[in-house]
Amino acid sequence: MTTRKKYLLAVLGGTLFGITLVVAALYTSNVTSTNESCAACHIHPEAEVSWKQSKHFSNQSGVQTDCAACHLPPSGTPNYYWAKVKIGLHDIWMYLTHSKEDFDFESKRTEEYAPNIVFNESCKKCHANLYPEGITDDGVAAHLYYDENEAKLNLQCVTCHLDAGHFIDGYKHEKMTTAPIDTTGPVYTEPASVTSFSNFTETIPGTRASINMVAVPGGKFTMGSNKGDKFSRPDEYPAHEVTVSPFFMAETEITWNQYWAFYAETMSEGRTKPETIYANNSRPDVDAVSGPTPPFGIPDQGWGMGSRPAITMTHYAAETFCQWLSLKTGRHYRLPTEAEWEYAARGGTQTPYFFEGKPSSYSSQGLWNSIFGTDTTTINRYAIYALNSKNRTQEPSRVAANPFGLRNMLGNVMEYCQDWYAEDAYEKAGTNAVDPKGPASGTDYVVRGGCYNDDASELRCAARRHSDYEAWLKTDPQNPKSIWWLSDIKGIGFRIVCEGFTK
Amino acid sequence: MKEKSMSRRSFLTGAATVGAAAVAAPALLASCSGNNNKLTPLKKEGEYYVPELPDKAIDGKELKVGLVGCGARGSGAINDLLNAANGITVVALGDVFGDRLFPLRDQLKRDWGQDIPDERCFLGFDSYQKVIDAGVDMVILTTPPVFRSETFKYATEKGVHSFLEKPIAIDAKGYRSIMATAKQAQAKGLSVVVGTQRHHERRYVEANKQIQAGLIGDITGGNVYWNQGMLWYRQREAGWTDMEWNIRDWVNWKWLSGDHIIEQHVHNIDVFLWMSGLKPVSATSFGARHRRVTGDQFDFFSTDFVMENGIHMHSMCRQINGCSSKVSEFIQGSKGSWDSETNEIKDMEGNVIWKYDEEKAKQEFEQHNPYVLEHVDWVNHIRKGTAHEEATDNAISCMAGIMGREAAYTGQTVTWDDMTQSEQNFLPEKLELGPLDLASMTVPVPGQ
Repeated sequence: MTTRKKYLLAVLGGTLFGITLVVAALYTSNVTSTNESCAACHIHPEAEVSWKQSKHFSNQSGVQTDCAACHLPPSGTPNYYWAKVKIGLHDIWMYLTHSKEDFDFESKRTEEYAPNIVFNESCKKCHANLYPEGITDDGVAAHLYYDENEAKLNLQCVTCHLDAGHFIDGYKHEKMTTAPIDTTGPVYTEPASVTSFSNFTETIPGTRASINMVAVPGGKFTMGSNKGDKFSRPDEYPAHEVTVSPFFMAETEITWNQYWAFYAETMSEGRTKPETIYANNSRPDVDAVSGPTPPFGIPDQGWGMGSRPAITMTHYAAETFCQWLSLKTGRHYRLPTEAEWEYAARGGTQTPYFFEGKPSSYSSQGLWNSIFGTDTTTINRYAIYALNSKNRTQEPSRVAANPFGLRNMLGNVMEYCQDWYAEDAYEKAGTNAVDPKGPASGTDYVVRGGCYNDDASELRCAARRHSDYEAWLKTDPQNPKSIWWLSDIKGIGFRIVCEGFTK
Repeated sequence: MKEKSMSRRSFLTGAATVGAAAVAAPALLASCSGNNNKLTPLKKEGEYYVPELPDKAIDGKELKVGLVGCGARGSGAINDLLNAANGITVVALGDVFGDRLFPLRDQLKRDWGQDIPDERCFLGFDSYQKVIDAGVDMVILTTPPVFRSETFKYATEKGVHSFLEKPIAIDAKGYRSIMATAKQAQAKGLSVVVGTQRHHERRYVEANKQIQAGLIGDITGGNVYWNQGMLWYRQREAGWTDMEWNIRDWVNWKWLSGDHIIEQHVHNIDVFLWMSGLKPVSATSFGARHRRVTGDQFDFFSTDFVMENGIHMHSMCRQINGCSSKVSEFIQGSKGSWDSETNEIKDMEGNVIWKYDEEKAKQEFEQHNPYVLEHVDWVNHIRKGTAHEEATDNAISCMAGIMGREAAYTGQTVTWDDMTQSEQNFLPEKLELGPLDLASMTVPVPGQ
């Protein structure tokens, strides 16, 4: 054979090999993108059932949408092949090293996680027209908002259409009109009679809701952290002595049962301007407050209502709850000051948590803990946080109380305080302050205690955070945005305090 | 450097400048100054719409047209259409009032031999559905503006091509409805033309080509005007219900017309948005009422618009007798300016570097009436089967007008985000020739 022939043979062979490789790769790509191929490793039949109950399986058009149509970028794009390689390797690794019980599939269906496994560009590949015939005015408004802000705010299709691919029982995209009220038990006619400074159960007249109130003795404590305390941040400095007067505090975060009782009595129309609501509610002679408008979707996220903490309300909604409760009972209910909150959370202790243990051993941060795991034995008894929450709130009965008898002060949901937040609030607090109320003005409110998906380091008694309405209302398409409901935060609730011994 | 990332129609990247020289060439030929031989186009040819404007529409499929709204504008539009194209049959007319409909029917018979029988002359608020359902291919919608979104929606649902007289939206809900319907019309491949006829007026189309080619540089601001004398009005006559009076006097009632900052001045606001490709993010406005006889509208508005890239556009409109008149648009760029009053582009020293060649156009074309040419373009798109949709852009121009109006009415700065999501809806739930809550239709007082 001449060199020329050898050369041609090599080119021919190379080309054939190349073609075979490409065909094989495409074939592999295709066969590994079928529903059957997905189901080979993704052994969670619930997903298939809920898919078959969804609009993406059964609809007027008869078109069925396969796994890969939503859970991969549009077929044939570079992102598609990259995602196949990346996700494929990850899935095979997880399949080989984990068992089904290791996964919390429900948490993959949350607004937080779903955008990781559903791709906007894939949604829009099929749904090329976001304004189909028959779309409602609310739908047009929401999609115009989406069109104009998708890139700017990183808006995700699944945030509003969480049940599109997999049916979620009870999930409603449209607005809710009536409150799901607990209809068991008696309707209270009188508020509680309180004659001494001891625990009592407030009974809210005209409702079936009651609230256990714990008598918290007054006292002096050290608020904040010292520089060098593990995980402490500058806004916790300096540690300073504070005295608080006695008060009553709710044993738990305000529950859905309690919050719906308020909502059912005060629900307002939704077309009233916020300024009008503020003006009406703040009249000195007000005898009935205007409360929340109907929320988008079901605000319990499908986690269940009952005694779970009510969530996603604004600070104003929490304050209005207190206003309503005060009118109903004749007692003065309000949100705790930041000092009252930390005093109550500590329950007489001065350690990072009111229970034993160090943040460094509970936290998942740091190389050591991330490799060898964290200690969970003690914290597990007292707090709902990232490692035991299954990515949702839990009922208060799951945890033991702190030394004052209060549950969930740390974890479950973050709690609003009445104070404005300022990073330098403690620097200006002075020494031996009595019942301090924080800065005179601000833009965000103090929130405390960390929540169900926080690391243990965020659950320290001294850890401070604040509301962030710009981020917490990112996907709310209304203008003005809701003054009652937050669209983009779940782990926020509140707890109430009551002043004075008796009426 | 230019910051184009915010622009609704930003296309330019560094690479695009390579193709710029070719585009810039015609502009250079017209240019008197020889030193700016490197124009950076705002948009390349083919990236913005340039209508073909022949004297007459091409022949082709016989088309059946309906007309909804037989007043002065509707009568004009149907005659313009018949001037624009052969092979058009007027098959149905709709209006609320017989005294507007039947004289038009007689005129169409007399001048065009168009015979529209009684059974296809529809009276009433639902006449638009009957006209659209009468087997039409295309429909002219020239009712008072408040009805535009519903009539356009129905026509599009039925797959009918629409001509929409401006303005097409006067409240937030109408705006959103038009935006959604426009997308549906696109999906169906319909041809939708809006009666902002400057888009089909050769001096504007040619000026826009120069501006897009970069002859005035980057657009840095603009002023637009519609200052004229008092507009017509109708006093109430005995026997008229509230609704009948309002509709017969519609240009003086904000729920019907949207006020003249939109009803009339949208033309000029639209020119700036069209050529700049920008939409406003906020509006601050003055306005008041001094001389009007009927209705609840203002006599003048003066509005400062902040556009999405931060530049300003000022708009003014006035309907008061005895004051100076001016209806035009002026756009300032980094290298020069264009004024529609003179049809000239000047460089920064004030030298005329381009002027619309009216003589040349007169030699080339016979038809110069933009009100006819817009129908030529409409029919051509329908007969060629090339989809065309102007409602989206015009709705955005109308929304600018709405922002200006609300800013003047309230005295507050109004933002795009506020207004596009507002619940404002002027369309009454019940449409009948009966009583209206006239007591609630008061002239707005800013600051209250």
